[in-house]
Amino acid sequence: MISQEAARTGGTDRPFKAALTRLAQRREYGVGFLLAATLIAVSWKNPAFASAANLSDLLVQCAPAVIVGCGLTFVIVTGEIDISVGSLLGLLAAVMGLACSPQRANWPVVPTVLATLLAGTASGFLTGALVTFGRAPSIIITLGMLTALRGLTELLMGGEWITDLPAGLRTLGTGSLLGIPISVLVAAVVVVGSALLAGRTALGLQIYAVGSNPEAARLAGLSIRRLRLFAFTLTGLLTAVAALVSVPQLSVIESGVGKGFELLVVTCVVVGGTSIRGGSGGILGTVLAVLLLGIVRTVLVFLKLGEMATYWERAIQGGFVLAAVLADHLARRSSAARAAGGQT
Amino acid sequence: MSDPYLQVAGISKAFGGVQALVDVSLDVRAGEVHALCGENGAGKSTLIKILGGSCLPDHGHVRVGGQALPPGSVLASEAAGIAVIHQEAVAFPDLNAVDNIFVGRELRRAGGLWLDRRRMRLEAAALLARLGEEFDLRTPAGDLPLARRQMVAIARALLQDCRLLILDEPTSSLSSRETQALFRIIRQLKDKGVSTIYVSHRLEEVFELADRVTVLRDGRKVATRSVGEISRAELIRLMVGRDVGGIAARPKSPPEGRPIMLEIQGLTRAGVFEKVSFSVHAGEVVGMAGLVGAGRSDVAQAIFGVDRWDEGRVLVAGKALSPGDIRAALRAGVALVPEDRQQLGLVLPMSVSVNLTLAILQSLCRLGFPSARREQTLASRLVAELGVRTASLRAPAWALSGGNQQKLLLGKWLALSPKVLLLDEPTRGVDVRAKEEVHQLIRQLADQGMATLLISSDLPELLALSDRIIVMRAGRIVGELAGSEATQEKVMSLAIPAEDDPATGARVGGSAT
Repeated sequence: MISQEAARTGGTDRPFKAALTRLAQRREYGVGFLLAATLIAVSWKNPAFASAANLSDLLVQCAPAVIVGCGLTFVIVTGEIDISVGSLLGLLAAVMGLACSPQRANWPVVPTVLATLLAGTASGFLTGALVTFGRAPSIIITLGMLTALRGLTELLMGGEWITDLPAGLRTLGTGSLLGIPISVLVAAVVVVGSALLAGRTALGLQIYAVGSNPEAARLAGLSIRRLRLFAFTLTGLLTAVAALVSVPQLSVIESGVGKGFELLVVTCVVVGGTSIRGGSGGILGTVLAVLLLGIVRTVLVFLKLGEMATYWERAIQGGFVLAAVLADHLARRSSAARAAGGQT
Repeated sequence: MSDPYLQVAGISKAFGGVQALVDVSLDVRAGEVHALCGENGAGKSTLIKILGGSCLPDHGHVRVGGQALPPGSVLASEAAGIAVIHQEAVAFPDLNAVDNIFVGRELRRAGGLWLDRRRMRLEAAALLARLGEEFDLRTPAGDLPLARRQMVAIARALLQDCRLLILDEPTSSLSSRETQALFRIIRQLKDKGVSTIYVSHRLEEVFELADRVTVLRDGRKVATRSVGEISRAELIRLMVGRDVGGIAARPKSPPEGRPIMLEIQGLTRAGVFEKVSFSVHAGEVVGMAGLVGAGRSDVAQAIFGVDRWDEGRVLVAGKALSPGDIRAALRAGVALVPEDRQQLGLVLPMSVSVNLTLAILQSLCRLGFPSARREQTLASRLVAELGVRTASLRAPAWALSGGNQQKLLLGKWLALSPKVLLLDEPTRGVDVRAKEEVHQLIRQLADQGMATLLISSDLPELLALSDRIIVMRAGRIVGELAGSEATQEKVMSLAIPAEDDPATGARVGGSAT
């Protein structure tokens, strides 16, 4: 006979496992702890790391993944996935460059921004429509989009580079307001907005419901398709926002912008505790995971590993993903065991 | 009481070739508790789904409060005041109780953008308190015990301000205290004019709670009676008087002198089944009767090693099996034809011949590669023997009808030439002709000396084919009848929980928590 307390925490005979389980269920805590520990340890070893300039750089680097990660969190919560955001970022970079470069369309800043946002939203909507009406797994559909969008980008760029972004647009990427980089401010707004959407609105609640049990959601009268379509469209829009604040930082726009970005973002969402099966997770976890992986990258640079830094970064990212999936599995299993154990 | 609140007129529904409902009509008055009874597969669930709007009827219509109910729309049914609480009230395992109750009908603050979480929490707590439930509302529903999840689902229905509450076996997971709390709520609602359709196998609950009872059998309405005018025995008789449909009975033969092929001794899996003991001789068909959830499939799956068991022994031809070891069970000569053949039995996209030979692939191999010629030879022999109707051996399994898929699955295991065959609902959802062929096959196999455990909710089938019938209820064996003395009434009286039921009591109180 298992006591109530033991049943709740997952068994007293294995305190270590119970602790792991609790940690796994609230991943924000675990990731936040790792983040704080890394930050403190590195600053203690090397005070230069904690300088305002360095931390500001770190946040600027993390901004695009944070912004897109917020959208992708919703997609994954609904039980779907979108691995095309890297290619979309590349396409939007090309759209921006072609629209505003003095040697191309030479549009003013405002129409360029609007065109980019529109293109991103439209692409997200298209992906969502293909997934919800195509009745194929989203990983396959968005794998197709990953290739198709990159191909479209190469077509648009025609093998050329764009280097002459106008100063107005550059400001979006490099400017700052009250001493805070614009990209970081925008990311903060997106994070707060997404967190409110997730936790404080009916729409957010319904998105979680759809991911948790699509059949029950249907019986509750929710439109599964519309909610998933919304998540994909939002991700497209946020990818455009990320493009606007990050692409102008680049000295050169070419057709390969954003390659591998989709994997980084998916990694961050999963490491941040959003279950790939849908229904649970959150914005805070995603943001913390982006920062954690960002710090790891910076630390590797500080360690002066040179070429090796990239290799280590990949390995560490992979390790985080595996740890996250394992933790997810543990949490599910103990949760199932508890529900069965409490059954009368 | 005045005009009927709910009128169901001439509803029919077929799934594939199987008629789930045939021309069913019934009415429920305002404030009435109307019980719906019938054996497994009588059509109760289909009727409920149609009322709830999650299933579209082929014919007939439903009127609620005088208005025609648009068929096949969950929202329309909800708007008409119908709330259905399904048997497995899981809802949203990741969401907490408050969110589970309010999803789709969220309370918003002035302005309509933000959720009013505080008001939602208070109302949820109040609703659950009415049901006598108090617990941490932040716990995800998936972590709550089943009874609590059920209460959350009921709270959701109360919130909806429903006029007709449909409860599908709500008490199967509740303790007696929880059941009484539920009954109190139903009576309160009744006083306010809310009608209830109550589906239950527990006849004493029907007599305690209901005003009238409607009995379904084989998808048809048998009778609607006032509870005051009917006895328990009569009710059971109405439920089981199932059309025997000319299933030729096997000659029952005493098992004496033939070796015991399968022996189960005190098999227990905590919270699922307890102290199950029986044996099956060579050439014998032992039928296993019981209601859904009595633990019959669980016992079969444990024998085959799909699930582990906690205590007891399983002996196949005298040799003990170890728990949870499918390979050992297979080597010992046990084969299981599962109930859910699409999920557990067949590889639907693969061909008929591959499906037939999958289990014995090894023996078809030459130098480690399967020999296509041997595969074809064996497959065509089995197809002929079983009478599988297929366009070709290369046709994918999904292209076959339900009955032929079932034969395919049987063939897959027969290719192994097992000693013990466990059949779990082998004729559920197959058409009449295929059913007859499956029966014929079971007879043949028994004549050839196969020890067969036949689980079936189709009582005429069970009575016709079995040498002996064991009846399970709430995880225990509650009786054994010789094939010659068994009748549908006797089997059902054992299978349905009685008022002072030791089996149910033991399960609810003692086992799991």
